[in-house]
Amino acid sequence: MKVSRRDLLLGTAGLTAGIFFTPVPWKVLDDVSVWTQNWPWIPQPARGPVTTKLAACTLCASGCRMRVRMAAGFPVGVSGSATHPLTKGALCPLGFAAHQLNWHPARLHAVRHHGHAVSWDEARAAFEKAYSEGPVGIVDGHSGRAASTVLQSFVAKHNGNYEVVLNPEEKSLLPYAQWSGVPVNSLGYDLENARTIVSFSAPLLDGWGIPGRFTHLWAERAAGQPDPQLRLIQIEPKLSRTASGAWRWIPICQGSGELLAAALAKILIEERLVSGQSPAPPASLTDAATQTGLTAAAIRELAYAIVERRPTLCISDGESPAIAALNLLLGAVGTPGGILPKSVHPFAMPPASANGKSLRAVLIDSSVPWEYVPPASTEVFRFAAWDGGGNRSDWLLPSPGYLEESTDLPTPPTSAVATYAIAPSLLAPSAETKTAAQFLLQIDPTLSDVDQTIRARCQEIFRARRGTVHTEKPAPVTSFESAAKFEEALRAGAVWLDEPRTVSPLRCSLKEWPGNCGRRAPADWVDLWEPPVLPPLAAKLYQESSLRETPQRSQS
Amino acid sequence: MNRNVFAFAIGLAVALLAGWVIFPRVLYSHQQQPVDFLHKTHAEKSGNADCESCHPFASDGSFAGLPQNDTCAGCHSDKLGTSPAEAKLVDVYLKPQAATPWLVYSRQPANVWFSHAIHVKRAGLACSDCHGTLGASDEKRVYEQDRISGYSRDIWGHSISRLRRAPHDGRTMSDCEDCHHKRHVEVGCFGCHQ
Repeated sequence: MKVSRRDLLLGTAGLTAGIFFTPVPWKVLDDVSVWTQNWPWIPQPARGPVTTKLAACTLCASGCRMRVRMAAGFPVGVSGSATHPLTKGALCPLGFAAHQLNWHPARLHAVRHHGHAVSWDEARAAFEKAYSEGPVGIVDGHSGRAASTVLQSFVAKHNGNYEVVLNPEEKSLLPYAQWSGVPVNSLGYDLENARTIVSFSAPLLDGWGIPGRFTHLWAERAAGQPDPQLRLIQIEPKLSRTASGAWRWIPICQGSGELLAAALAKILIEERLVSGQSPAPPASLTDAATQTGLTAAAIRELAYAIVERRPTLCISDGESPAIAALNLLLGAVGTPGGILPKSVHPFAMPPASANGKSLRAVLIDSSVPWEYVPPASTEVFRFAAWDGGGNRSDWLLPSPGYLEESTDLPTPPTSAVATYAIAPSLLAPSAETKTAAQFLLQIDPTLSDVDQTIRARCQEIFRARRGTVHTEKPAPVTSFESAAKFEEALRAGAVWLDEPRTVSPLRCSLKEWPGNCGRRAPADWVDLWEPPVLPPLAAKLYQESSLRETPQRSQS
Repeated sequence: MNRNVFAFAIGLAVALLAGWVIFPRVLYSHQQQPVDFLHKTHAEKSGNADCESCHPFASDGSFAGLPQNDTCAGCHSDKLGTSPAEAKLVDVYLKPQAATPWLVYSRQPANVWFSHAIHVKRAGLACSDCHGTLGASDEKRVYEQDRISGYSRDIWGHSISRLRRAPHDGRTMSDCEDCHHKRHVEVGCFGCHQ
């Protein structure tokens, strides 16, 4: 039988149709998708014994306690640890996935000078030359650590300048620090004893302060209750996640929060709703109504609502003297349920700001957020584990990655009760990395070593015999036999929590109602949340989803 | 039969034959275990019929996996018998203390975290619920590896169509989900994926 062209075409059609009734396309598709996940350049978790270790997140100053699942000695999974007295097991999405950051393509593996790989010796020689020619500035992102004492000691010895970059939560406490003379890192919010919290765009339910601290309070005392024990009034232009969970959401026009605070203060004073002392604000109710978009009656009703259940605490999303003055008027400064000095803060260091010195060079610690812009006309030495791109840095110095550095964790910002913990190093840092403290200690070995400082701090807390050590079973400090045992417990993952302060000598004096501080309020909190690198888990499941809007999306 | 239909049917038949018979044979490579191992014989001769005798849980509940060489050396420090497999085990692996490169039929990919402790200790599953009669058989199984994905055939299951499979056959993500669904167990993405 002769096979014609038509037969061949029909046979091919039958072959093509038939193939879809076999497992070939479906199985090959499945296998190819698996194959693409196993390309040799994609990092794979190591095979080996699986263990769980306690550690602490060091991405920010909150120091959330976490359980790290390790496979063959490498971290492969992170979850919160409920033994932390403040976070109670919560983690932010970035911390939840941060173990992936060490494999990020932007990870720094070598010293770079203007983009070219150079040696540590060259970087050290350049820094030594810089501080011999003029004062150097050192910028710190988490003040109060043992490593911070090295940075501060260096500038003190070499006539330099020490600057601390504050986060938005710390900035919200700046007015009280200026009015009382108490260092800002010695102040905190007593959220636990407040009955009404008035938030001016502060994302309380979105990781503000210490992850888990407010959300637990809200879950226990407010969530789903028509008349909650804790009233959260969210004053914000946008129906944010916090606004949607609040007892009341007051939508106002962008940037009118300080004027609304002044108008509320005026009503509280004129209608004698408060007994606190504060200068009268110059604002008029009509102006406030025009600029906030609320009616005068609504502002008056809000003034009554915020004093209905006290203590009332107002929280701003950054530095805001008018909102701080409203707190002063409400009697929320130095009283339970308000702004309190930390119970004990043995390691507090007044954060010095730039003092006008003309700096020859600036050394930026890896704890400083990437968006920090160094002063112009200085040689910049920036320590970082990842190259975030963009900002000007003459020298990029690779620092240890996530969970590769052992550091201590003093009281997180916004906590009014002192804590102390030690974040252990779960991974050996690679030979090419150094912390800023190690770099300075190599230049000047007479400075106090970080480990020695941590040991001295443990001894100091142990000698004071105050507070509780939180592990699986909380135990008082007095139950420890020695400072060494106490330090051992902290290094194994315990957290020391001081006793709450009962007396709070915080005196603020304010002669006139503060004007607008000139700060441009961000369009959204997310404007302040732009980490230079994101782990894939956070990028795919959080930032790219509707769970967290990016700045670009919020503006569109 | 119409010639056109016949030509189409020939093509169809070739596709079905290739897809259902030839494709599975080509897809999987066949590999032998480094040493022939007989589960049933070992259970009988050692008097340890339970799986945990050789695949124990550590004190923290984690699964110890395959027995290490020192466990095997408990009986095989010297050759027992004259079989080539015995000689290979003792001379190639135990005496030089080289890890025996067992091919694990049910090994999950690296992006999955599977806890034996949770499934056995907490959920009360029997080993045979997932591993079938492997432990009670002397069958010298060939390890079949998918040439594209690199996975063991046991992950997809022995039926290429995944129809009419034995209850323990197949350990893909959908198998895990089906079992969890049947047992009303809620597990999120991060319960298994690391």
